[in-house]
Amino acid sequence: MARLLHSQKSNKKTPAKKETLYKDAKQNAEEIKRLFSHGTNEDFISRELIAAFNKKKVYLFFYSSIVNSNSIEEFVIKPLLEEEGESVSDVITNKDITQISDYQQAIENINNGKVIIFIDGDDNGYGMEVSQFQHRAIGKAENESVIKGPKEAFTESLYVNMSLVRKQIRDKQLITELTSIGERAKQSVILVYVDDLVNDEVLENVKNRIKNIEIDTVRNVELLEQLIEERPNSIFPSILYTERPDNAAAYLENGYIVILMDNSAACLILPVTFWDFFHNPEDRYTRYIFGNLTRLIRFLGLFLTTMISAIYVALANFHSEMIPPDLLLAITAARERVPFPLIMEILIMEIAFELIREAGIRIPNPLGPTIGIVGALILGQAAVEANVISPIIVIVAAISGLSSFAISDVSLNYSVRISRFIFILAAGFMGMFSLIGVFLLLFMYAASLKSFGIPFFAPVAPNYKSQGDTLFRKVLRAEIWRPTYVTQKDIQKKKKN
Amino acid sequence: MHDKKTLKASEMFAMVTMLVGMKLTDTTATLYAQKSQNAFWVMPIISFLVILPSFLLLLFLLKKYQDKNLVELLESILGSVMGKLLGFFIFISSFLLIGLDSRSHIEQIKLLYFPASPNTVIFFLLLCIVFLGAKKGFEVIGFASKISLPFVKISVLILAILIMGEVVWQRIFPIFGSGLTIVLTEGVLKGSIFSEFFLLTIAYTSLRKTADFRIGALFGAFFVLFEIVFFFFVYTTVFDYNSIEKISFPFHDLTQFVSLGDYFTNIETFFMVFWLLAGFLRFIIYIYLLTWIFGAIFNISEFEPLLLPLSFITLVIGMIPDNSVVNETVYRDTLLNYVTPLYVIFPILLWGVALARGDLKKQ
Repeated sequence: MARLLHSQKSNKKTPAKKETLYKDAKQNAEEIKRLFSHGTNEDFISRELIAAFNKKKVYLFFYSSIVNSNSIEEFVIKPLLEEEGESVSDVITNKDITQISDYQQAIENINNGKVIIFIDGDDNGYGMEVSQFQHRAIGKAENESVIKGPKEAFTESLYVNMSLVRKQIRDKQLITELTSIGERAKQSVILVYVDDLVNDEVLENVKNRIKNIEIDTVRNVELLEQLIEERPNSIFPSILYTERPDNAAAYLENGYIVILMDNSAACLILPVTFWDFFHNPEDRYTRYIFGNLTRLIRFLGLFLTTMISAIYVALANFHSEMIPPDLLLAITAARERVPFPLIMEILIMEIAFELIREAGIRIPNPLGPTIGIVGALILGQAAVEANVISPIIVIVAAISGLSSFAISDVSLNYSVRISRFIFILAAGFMGMFSLIGVFLLLFMYAASLKSFGIPFFAPVAPNYKSQGDTLFRKVLRAEIWRPTYVTQKDIQKKKKN
Repeated sequence: MHDKKTLKASEMFAMVTMLVGMKLTDTTATLYAQKSQNAFWVMPIISFLVILPSFLLLLFLLKKYQDKNLVELLESILGSVMGKLLGFFIFISSFLLIGLDSRSHIEQIKLLYFPASPNTVIFFLLLCIVFLGAKKGFEVIGFASKISLPFVKISVLILAILIMGEVVWQRIFPIFGSGLTIVLTEGVLKGSIFSEFFLLTIAYTSLRKTADFRIGALFGAFFVLFEIVFFFFVYTTVFDYNSIEKISFPFHDLTQFVSLGDYFTNIETFFMVFWLLAGFLRFIIYIYLLTWIFGAIFNISEFEPLLLPLSFITLVIGMIPDNSVVNETVYRDTLLNYVTPLYVIFPILLWGVALARGDLKKQ
């Protein structure tokens, strides 16, 4: 039954693959009209006219909502009506023209914003690029903002994004390879790489993964990321997601691969290591010392956000001798009237902070200030005054929450927040002993990860020749090598002095 | 086992240091001090000198018989049956040692930080973490050791710097403690505290190049010796001969002794963090190597599933001694003494047989 339904469905709308066109243009036109539900479909336009060059009937089809009507009038319809010549390609003044021999091509052409024509007496149809998908203008990078450095961000248009990348790397070897994805509604995916730098193994791997996705639709890179990653259940990400073209270009120059799609104001970069998530493009734009200071602060932030709550639980519950006596007395005094065990207190505050964060993202703009009042006043002050939590917990949770914003990468941020809760629970179990044990296991798990064959902690362990950009970076002049764990071609990027 | 061998000399160095360097924090110092009083800091040198020729001989043989690890070497020189038998002796002796060593480790954790927790629970937790860590494989263990090593060593260095004010170097006199004879015999008998060097040779072919193994292992060995001697020297000069005999865990006493300025007076938890980290890694490496040897002896190429039963048996062995005193002064002491000849003699035996068979002349 299901098969019957399926075949009926496919009879009605989608032709079998490579079903060739009829010899007769009128028949083709009827078929296209049927396929695109002409009449019901408001923006599907069909137009007939008599061409001036051969005095034959011409049928035009396009979606009015995704084409530029000026281009159609100027470069397709007007020449057809007025110009004289031998063939279609002589007459039409549009920038490109492709021959169509089957329905699949015809459908793809129309869906991608082209206008197609059939001419009486011609076996082939023709498609012309006149698309104009609506999209946002290029804006500032909002999630990865920098003080020093370019401000442009990707926008939800493939061609604009490609243009932004090409602007950064003017290299004839920069390849933008098109593949399509989706069984039902096809979307274009562009793989960007520098041909004489890219790691061919990884490239092949990515292409295979994209080819093997058997799913009806994939709309954007956010969904694509989850479909091509190797470990969907891992708490660590294995693909970098960035909205900055300059960041993408920096990776391309080192042999990485960038994936672009329509509908995403960001790109995917792969393969990646832990350090790539840890870095921020601004580290490289500021001077050596300043950049490394930022790195140091960020590393401190990483440590604090994952560990401070857990360490507090471990110290206060199991190793109170470590806390200096005055401070210990202060903590005890503050906790005297609080009914909850310490770990409960920490969990309450951490969860409250996560709530504020989640609500802060979802809250409609006009209500924005409310969150500050509710968050700060009720959760902070009132909870302390009501003896639900002790003031020191507010400080600990605030430090841990604040430091988490130092991790700018969206994906790593989640990993860090999850591991924070794992560590708090571990610390509550048997203090430092279980905390260190769990930390070591998580760390070893991370060390065992590979992103498209590249170890997560490369180039530190295992050791590779690279530009030495890990926790700290080198002086720009001393960066001689490309990361050899990614690329084996042309590994020297700067002459040695 | 791995299609791409990525480990290099630095990872090897880190693993040697993690595996053997932990001896400076455990009860080995106490064991030495029982016999030779304030001369115990000389004894690691003697033990090392006893072990070193055999270790170098083993490395020499491994180099001659390229692309063989410890067990394969044993088999190719002594024949399948004898080789496996000797390998099994090595396995059993080290396996008993790891049981007692881990017991000693958890006794430290219990006595110093978790006096109210039962031994079994701490032991179980330790071995759970060790098992799960070891399951990640040799490569990851190498990476983890390498990345943790600087942190661990820096913490030890900080301890060394903080304690410097307390050192009275005249306390090393009399230089031979309770007598030269005792120092020498005990030093020789305890050669087996460096027996882990031999276990590492099971990994001889698993590094990127075998030269990486030799470089890493030798540098590691000498670094570890330096480290142990230095800290034993510090123990001697800080505690003097009377108290060092009575102190069970000199390293932890040291950490409780030091303070960071006037405000932070109890910073032992800081050192404990890195000590725990190194301790976990030490037993992860230890049990992984032992399982590997076990697998090699019984021709089990997929030996990693064996980690679970072997971890469990370690727990059982570790629970045999009634208390820590018996564990240290009877079981561990005796075992260390008995095991030393095995490790000293077997490379010489291998060399003799190889020489007699004429294998060494070919190349």
